[in-house]
Amino acid sequence: MTTEMQPETETAIRLQRVVVLGANGAMGAGAAAMFAGGGCEVTLVARDLGKIEEAMATIQGIAKSERIVDGMEGMTYADGWETILADADLIFEAVAEEFELKRTLFQQVDGARPPESLVATVSSGLSIRGMAEGLSEGFRRHFAGIHLFNPPHLLTGTELIPHPDMEPGLVRALKRVLTERFGRSVIVCADTPAFAGNRIGFKVLNEVAQLAERHGVQLMDTLIGPYTGRAMAPLATIDLVGWDVHQAIVDNVYANVRDEAIDSFRLPTYMARLVQHGHLGNKTPLLGGFYRRVTHEGRAEGKRTVTEVLDPATGRYREVERELTIPFVEQIKDLNRRGRYREGLARFMEADGAEADLARRVILGYVSYALNRVGPGEVVQRYEDVDRIMATGFNWAPPSVLVDLIGLERTIQALERYDLPVPELLRAARRGEVQTPLFNLPFISPGRFFAG
Amino acid sequence: MAEPVYVLGGYQTDFARNWQKENKHICAMVNEVVIGALEATAVEPKEVEVGHVGNFAAELYTMQGHLGAFLLEAHPDFRGMPTARHEAACASGSIAILAAMAEIEAGRYELAMVVGIEQMKTVDSARGGDFLGTAAWYEREAKGISYPFPKLFGRLGDEYDRRFGLKDEHLARISAINYANAKKNPLAQTRTWYMSEEHARSADRFNQVIGGRIKVSDCSQVTDGAACIFLASRRYAERYARRRNLDLTRIPQILGWGHRTAPIMLDEKFAESRDNPYVLPHTRQAILDAFRRARIAEVWQLDAIETHDCFTTSEYMAIDHFGLTPPGQSWQAIEEGVIELDGELPINPSGGLIGCGHPVGCTGVRQVLDAYRQVTETAGGYQVAGARKVATLNIGGSGTTSVSFVVGYPD
Repeated sequence: MTTEMQPETETAIRLQRVVVLGANGAMGAGAAAMFAGGGCEVTLVARDLGKIEEAMATIQGIAKSERIVDGMEGMTYADGWETILADADLIFEAVAEEFELKRTLFQQVDGARPPESLVATVSSGLSIRGMAEGLSEGFRRHFAGIHLFNPPHLLTGTELIPHPDMEPGLVRALKRVLTERFGRSVIVCADTPAFAGNRIGFKVLNEVAQLAERHGVQLMDTLIGPYTGRAMAPLATIDLVGWDVHQAIVDNVYANVRDEAIDSFRLPTYMARLVQHGHLGNKTPLLGGFYRRVTHEGRAEGKRTVTEVLDPATGRYREVERELTIPFVEQIKDLNRRGRYREGLARFMEADGAEADLARRVILGYVSYALNRVGPGEVVQRYEDVDRIMATGFNWAPPSVLVDLIGLERTIQALERYDLPVPELLRAARRGEVQTPLFNLPFISPGRFFAG
Repeated sequence: MAEPVYVLGGYQTDFARNWQKENKHICAMVNEVVIGALEATAVEPKEVEVGHVGNFAAELYTMQGHLGAFLLEAHPDFRGMPTARHEAACASGSIAILAAMAEIEAGRYELAMVVGIEQMKTVDSARGGDFLGTAAWYEREAKGISYPFPKLFGRLGDEYDRRFGLKDEHLARISAINYANAKKNPLAQTRTWYMSEEHARSADRFNQVIGGRIKVSDCSQVTDGAACIFLASRRYAERYARRRNLDLTRIPQILGWGHRTAPIMLDEKFAESRDNPYVLPHTRQAILDAFRRARIAEVWQLDAIETHDCFTTSEYMAIDHFGLTPPGQSWQAIEEGVIELDGELPINPSGGLIGCGHPVGCTGVRQVLDAYRQVTETAGGYQVAGARKVATLNIGGSGTTSVSFVVGYPD
C-alpha cells in the first residue's frame, strides 16, 4: 500500500547577486569562491580596498583560477549600505565570530536590504534567534545560519539553521539550491549552541584534551588517531583549528547547554592558562599548541628541526623522539591498510588493557553523544544528518558506520558497560523498528575514514 | 552469432579519494570495489566463476604486481577462482572486459567479475608523467621528456590544425562541459573544483601550458580509483532476473565491441593516415566494428557516448571519428551544443576522464559501468533521459589500442 504524500511546497528563490560581508577572512573568501563557482555575481565587502585585494587573491588561490574574480565587485563599508545591498539576492555575513559585532551589522543591514533578499550568517554556533532579536519581521523571515566548515572548498558539509520565522518552503528551497547548485552536503539544524557538527566534534576533541592532562598528548593522539575513523588525530586537530576558536566553541556550549556529557565541554585549566600566554596552536608557530616545530642550531650538526610535544601537567615541551607503537593499534592499522575495516573494529572492541579501554570509552562516547543529538527537542531530526555532517564537515567516520561495523548488539552492550546512554535509535533498531545496517547515505564510502 | 553478454551492474569508488593519504595498500581498493559491487548487484560471491583485472602499472606506482590474485582477498568464497590481470595502457580495463566476454561467449563461464583499477597518487606528477610515458614507445617518444603524453596529444591537435584547422576555444569548451557534467556526478574527482570556459581559455599561473597547445585545463586527472562490473551469460542472467524478480529484457547487454591496434609511434600513425579522411583510422575502425556488431547504422541511434578524453584533443578526435560530424568538423558539434548533457548526443555525461577522473587501468570498466547506469536510468544527476544505447571509446597510448563497446538493449 502506498500513502499519498502531500507535495512539499517550495518558495522560489533567486540567487543571482550575492554580497559577502567580511570577504577577506577564510570563511568569507571561501564562501565567495563557492558562490562564484555556482555562477553568482559576487560583491566582496571589507573594511578597505587593500583587504578587497587580499580577498581576491585568496579567492583566486582557493579556486586555482585568476578568472574567477573577473566579474566580482569590491566595496567598502564607506560606500554605504544602500549602495552595497542594492539588488542583493543574498547577503552573506562572514565577519569575526563576535555576537555584538554581528548584531550591530544586522541592524544596519535590516534598514537597507531589498525586501525579498535573504540574509545569512556563517557563524559556527552563536544564537541565530539572538542575532535577529529586535529586527524587522521581514528580516527574521529571510534570515538563516549557513554554517560552512573550514576550509569550505575541501569540506562540503553545510549546516542550515533557519530562523524560526522562516517559512518551511523557503528552508526547503534554500537547502535544495545549496545542494544542487553549490554542491554542498546540507543538513538542517536547530538553533542550539554550536549546532550539530561542532557540538559533537568538539565534545570529543575537548574530552581528549582533558584526558591528555593525565595520559599525555602523544598517547591520546595515538589512541584516538586516524585509525579510529578520522583524517587527523584530535589534539593535532585542535592545533589546526586554533586554541582560541576551540575555547570559544566549548565555552559557548558549556555556558548554554545542559546535557548528559556537559562536563566534557569544560576547557582544561592547562589550556586556559596557555591560551592566556598566547599559545593558540599552529597560528602561533613559535609558542605552539599541543605540538610545535622547533629549529635548533647546533655548531657541529648545523640546523635541525624537530617536533616538540606539550606536557600538559608542567606546561613544558619536550622533543618527540618517535611515534608511539601500541600493539593493538598497529594491528588495527594493518587491517585497515588491507581494507578489512570490520575486522579492525572487532580487534578494537576485544583488545585488552587500560589503553584499549580508554580508546573504547572515547569512541563509544562519540557514538552515544552523536546519536543522542537526534530527535524531538534535539539538534537534528534524522540520524542521517549526524552521519552526513560528521563525514562531510569533520572527515570523521559517521557514528552509524561505527555501529554497523561493530555490530548493533555489541555496540549496545559496550555502551551499557561504559555507562554511556544508549541512544533511542539503537533501541529502536534492536526492536526492528529501524532498518539495519544503519548507515544509508549514498556516495559516502565509509572505508575512507579508517586510515592504515 | 555469439552468445549475448549481459551487464548486471557494479560499483565505482569515489575518485576524489587519495589512498596513499589513507595509508592503504592497493588491496584495500580491490576489497572496497568488489564488496561494493557485490552489494550493489546482490550477486552471490560463490557464483562468480572467474575474475579479470584491468591495470596499467601497479608495479611502478605501488610496487605490486599480480593483481588478479588480490581478488581472492575480497571474499572467502573466491578461493580457487581463476583470475588474471590485463594490460594495454589506458585501455587495460576494456581489455579485461573483452577477455571476460570471450569466455562467456565461448561457454566457459556463466558469471565473470571485471575490476579496473589504478592507484596513481603515490608519486609526484613528474615521476607519474614518466611512468605514463611507458604507454608510448618509451625510448623513442618519452625518455627524458617531461610530461610526454600531453605533448603527444598536443601534437594530435596540431595535426588536426594542419589538416583541417583547429581553434583552442573549442578545446576550452570541451573542458568546461566535462567539468560541468562532473559537478552532477557524486563520485567524480573534480566535482567540487572551480572551472569556467573563461578559465579554460586563459593561460596563466593557474592554467599553465604543459606542452604545445595543452594546458592544465585540457588534461584528464591523476586519479586513484577502481570500478567493478559483473558480466553474465544469458543462462545466468535469466536465473538472476528470476531470483531478483527482474524483467530479463531490462537487463542491458554488451551489444557490440570493436578492438583495434595502431602502430605505437605517433609519427607512424600520422604517416599512415596521410591520405585517409580520419586522423586515427584504426580508432575509427574500432568504433565501426562495435557499431556493426551492435547493428547500429549510424551514430544518431546512440543516446550518449562515454569517450576517452585523456586530453581535450582526444575528445575532439572522438567527435568526428564517431561520426557526429564529417572528418575535421568536430567544432560544429561543439558549437551547436550537440555534445552537452541536454544536447542531441551527450558526450561524457559522467564528466569523462577530465571531470570524473582517469585512474588509467580502471577507465574502460568505469565507462561501461556508466553506460550501464545510463541505460538502466540509475545515473542520478547526470542521467540522459530515456537512454537505451550508449557507446564507449577507451584508448591506450597515443591512439594505439582502441576499444569501443555499445551497451544497451537490442531493438
